[in-house]
Amino acid sequence: MSIRREDVLHVARLAELDVAETDLPKLVEQMGRIVGFVEQLNEVPAGEEAPPFLAGPGRTPLRTDEVAPVPLVRPPSAIAPEFIHGFFAVPRLGAMEGE
Amino acid sequence: MSGVAAIAEGVASGAAPAAGVARETGERLRHSAGLNATLHWSQGLLDRDAARIDRLPIEERKALPLAGVPVAIKDNIVTTDEPTTCGSRILEGYVSPFDATVVAHLKAAGAIISCKTNLDEFAMGSSTEHSAWGRVKHPLDQARVPGGSSGGSAALVAAGVVPAALGSETGGSVRQPASFCGVVGVKPSYGRVSRFGLVAFGSSLDQVSVFGRTVDDAARVLAVISGQDRNDATSAAQPAVSLEPARKDLKGLTFGIPREYMPADLDAGVRAGIDLTVKAIKDLGGTVKDVTLPHTRFAVPCYYIVAPAEAAANLARYDGVRYGQRRIGSEGDVRALYRATRGQGFGAEVRRRILIGTYVLSSGYYDAYYRKAQQVRALLADDFRRVFDAGVDLLLTPTTPTPAFKAGEKTEDPVAMYLADIFTCSLNLAALPAMSLPIGRSGGLPVGAQLVAPMFAEARMLSVAAALEAALDASREVR
Amino acid sequence: MSWETVIGLEVHVQLLTHSKMFCGCSTRFGSEPNTQVCPVCLGLPGALPVPNAHAIELATRAALALGCKVQETSVFARKNYFYPDLPKGYQISQFDQPLAVRGSMEIESPERGRIAIGVTRLHVEEDAGKSLHDRLPGKTAIDLNRAGTPLAEIVSEPDLRSPAEARAYLTRLKQLLLYCQVSDCNMEEGSLRVDANNSTRRLGDTRLGTKTEVKNMNSFANVERALTVERDRQIRLVEGGGRVEQVTMLFNAGSGEVRPMRSKEESHDYRYFPDPDLPPLVLTRLWIEQQHAALPEMPDARRDRFMTVLGLPAYDAGVLSAERPIADYYEAVVAEGAEPKAAANWVMTEVLRGYNDTGEFAVSPQWLAGLLEAVRDGTVSNQAAKQVYVARAGRGSLSVTVEMRGTGKVSEVSPRQLAAKLGLIQVGDADALGSWVDEVIAANPKEVGRYKAGETKLLGFFQGQVMKKSAGKADPKKVGALLAERLGSKK
Repeated sequence: MSIRREDVLHVARLAELDVAETDLPKLVEQMGRIVGFVEQLNEVPAGEEAPPFLAGPGRTPLRTDEVAPVPLVRPPSAIAPEFIHGFFAVPRLGAMEGE
Repeated sequence: MSGVAAIAEGVASGAAPAAGVARETGERLRHSAGLNATLHWSQGLLDRDAARIDRLPIEERKALPLAGVPVAIKDNIVTTDEPTTCGSRILEGYVSPFDATVVAHLKAAGAIISCKTNLDEFAMGSSTEHSAWGRVKHPLDQARVPGGSSGGSAALVAAGVVPAALGSETGGSVRQPASFCGVVGVKPSYGRVSRFGLVAFGSSLDQVSVFGRTVDDAARVLAVISGQDRNDATSAAQPAVSLEPARKDLKGLTFGIPREYMPADLDAGVRAGIDLTVKAIKDLGGTVKDVTLPHTRFAVPCYYIVAPAEAAANLARYDGVRYGQRRIGSEGDVRALYRATRGQGFGAEVRRRILIGTYVLSSGYYDAYYRKAQQVRALLADDFRRVFDAGVDLLLTPTTPTPAFKAGEKTEDPVAMYLADIFTCSLNLAALPAMSLPIGRSGGLPVGAQLVAPMFAEARMLSVAAALEAALDASREVR
Repeated sequence: MSWETVIGLEVHVQLLTHSKMFCGCSTRFGSEPNTQVCPVCLGLPGALPVPNAHAIELATRAALALGCKVQETSVFARKNYFYPDLPKGYQISQFDQPLAVRGSMEIESPERGRIAIGVTRLHVEEDAGKSLHDRLPGKTAIDLNRAGTPLAEIVSEPDLRSPAEARAYLTRLKQLLLYCQVSDCNMEEGSLRVDANNSTRRLGDTRLGTKTEVKNMNSFANVERALTVERDRQIRLVEGGGRVEQVTMLFNAGSGEVRPMRSKEESHDYRYFPDPDLPPLVLTRLWIEQQHAALPEMPDARRDRFMTVLGLPAYDAGVLSAERPIADYYEAVVAEGAEPKAAANWVMTEVLRGYNDTGEFAVSPQWLAGLLEAVRDGTVSNQAAKQVYVARAGRGSLSVTVEMRGTGKVSEVSPRQLAAKLGLIQVGDADALGSWVDEVIAANPKEVGRYKAGETKLLGFFQGQVMKKSAGKADPKKVGALLAERLGSKK
């Protein structure tokens, strides 16, 4: 199944990534190649089963409910691009308002 | 340059204090600047950390397994002293407020964090040509790539600047550059080493991994950084990897060579290297047999669904809100902040992988791609389980299909670059411990062989590798 | 043409834990912004989540209280979307394998009586931070103290048929969750949030119509108001031949209006997938059963026991079992030996009044039981006892202490001591009563005559006179008996 321009623009929107108009044709072509490549998996029949695989442990460990945070050696203000009166600051919501 | 054990011995006893090690390391870092292998380091920090070790009473120093040993750290492992950029503009200038667990372990063992090394951006790549700060050069041939994504760490160890370095693996990013650069590269079983503080790329695949000048160097560092971590829910209930003496022989051990890893068109030099290794195994009393891992050819396509999908979600946090660089687009609202920050802050390979990852998880495609990839992953893991259950102790394969390729050779076609992972990524998918051992040269370029062990059998794998290392001469031509 | 309104509710409650869902930061409310944060809840590079055991316990108890089946294996999933107070760009939640499914809750519907409302699922997830739009000019201020707080999301089946039923559902849900002490369930403070789905269909139709989602209501009353507005809007629309569009609406408490969100919202593609940082949540059947056993007696069972074992009438039993602190208090008073009905009267009036005002109990159950005992043995009249209670409740405990003479020990003044201090001890002494009764009889010969002629209700008059003469201290029961005796005997 080939990738169209609209598909790339759609996922770029979902991923909040600007794609320059000039980059778009090459990107569409490359993504088409990649998707075509991974579609090889369709050669594996759907019925071919193996025990379900988990890379890590079979069950998650749980933490005791106590106040014991991983300490920060420098505060949020030291790493934030914009920090005013104790808050992280971002531009007005605009299109995201009302969500 | 001495190995890990010798340096630690000298520093612990006081015969060769850490201050001297720090001075020499700084000189070597300066001297090797042309490799572009490092992103951040300072003589001041080297000297400060060395002084701290030298000031300790001798009994305390002797208890430190890595006293004064300089270890390089890939720049996607967070440190509080130096920035962590992941080779990306989006994290330019970011200094983490916490240390990775592996860094804390190294410090507690007396090691000196020597520098942060260059890498493919966010660990996405197989050549270290995708860094925002330029490519890393192969120490033996500057027109070639050192491999990736941990190319900076591999190059420093190969160039003799440090005896050991940390890298990370998602699809082969330590074994492949180890093979290209002629050093030892070890990926532990998934969960054997904490991921807390390793900047996430493919969470179910990622592992901090180790480069060493020799097997012993790598093993000593792995022993220090491994073990369960309560800050990482995916970390295994396993102790730290133990150090075992090198085996004197390989009697009683069966090595399987999967035929799918020895294709007819395999590079002649790589094939010759495997043949040499097989001979060495037999000379040491081991048995070699042919095995099959039938789903091998699906490993790379499976990997390139799972890894980008997890990466797309893992990289959503880079939005310019709380840390890192920010740019604001023309509309001036928060959406413009996201799109410009991410569109301009991420490089082309990272953007491609985020888009692929978002695509394979998106509505309507999840079953066809992501769920399908989970099915295939289970089949791949099962292939390995069957082979180990049938009495094979270790697997032997080439690490890479060819020796180091030239810079620029694969950057035009993303799929061509992906195929560099062909022998390595199956082990990340199967969560198994695997390593690359340098076994010789082909036309002057290093060639590596890969050993694969069952889950949590790192100690066995390393002791076998040490035996082979002693039997082979990695500086000799294979043909 | 008859139309049916179909309503479903999604409720989020904050769980009462000390620390956050996936990290060790405090969940305490009201701290300086961005001071209860760590690498994990800030979403810093390299951070990883580890789940909070107590949050799982509380969520499990809530699920059991709602009659849900708790799954032995459930899975955390990433819900991916971008928003400035969502640090990782995804929320860790649960998707197709939630903690619990298929519960049900009985409610009193104003229209349909006692009915069962299905609970589709309950799952755990983490809260986002707070975005403040009017704190910084032209910008939005982000506080991540709340990011990572444990939440339980409870989704009802679309079984509700009116805004009033929706409110009854919420009232009942809050009651059950407060009983189990899993959450404060306070909408005004944000520890309980409601999103309401409303659709309309022809009466008798079984398919569901298109639904709208209504958000931004900050009280149960406003949920009912908002749903009333939206229900009416939809009915007017379909009656006029129009079609309901699937939009998200916001309630405006000031104007009472329900308006579509300003942005043309594309429906979100959350791209759910199992979180690779978290292995499955595995609970043993034994552990789940232990949580079940640890549930408190629920309100309905408690009410029934108050009726059958303590002999209370239905109304009293209902009032006293409605909230767990009241029920616990009442039972503590009875445990100290108080007579259940008398104790019920007192708790439903004096005690509950104070509790509703201040959120606290003015006197200990032991003290109240002691006061009721003094009434029972005639030391004080019931009227006087009320004065004693008010006196005790009005002051802090330190101002009603007495020093034990000789020992110097200070202890809380007892009900009897306080009654004595206030001069409210009843006089039950036969001689004193006898002389007051005789005086009153002698002073009112006309009334005595009328009484003997048959106007027996004049007994109340005589009693009042004796009480006046005794300045309220006479024991009314004994006075009544004495009067009846002496009036009866004098011919």
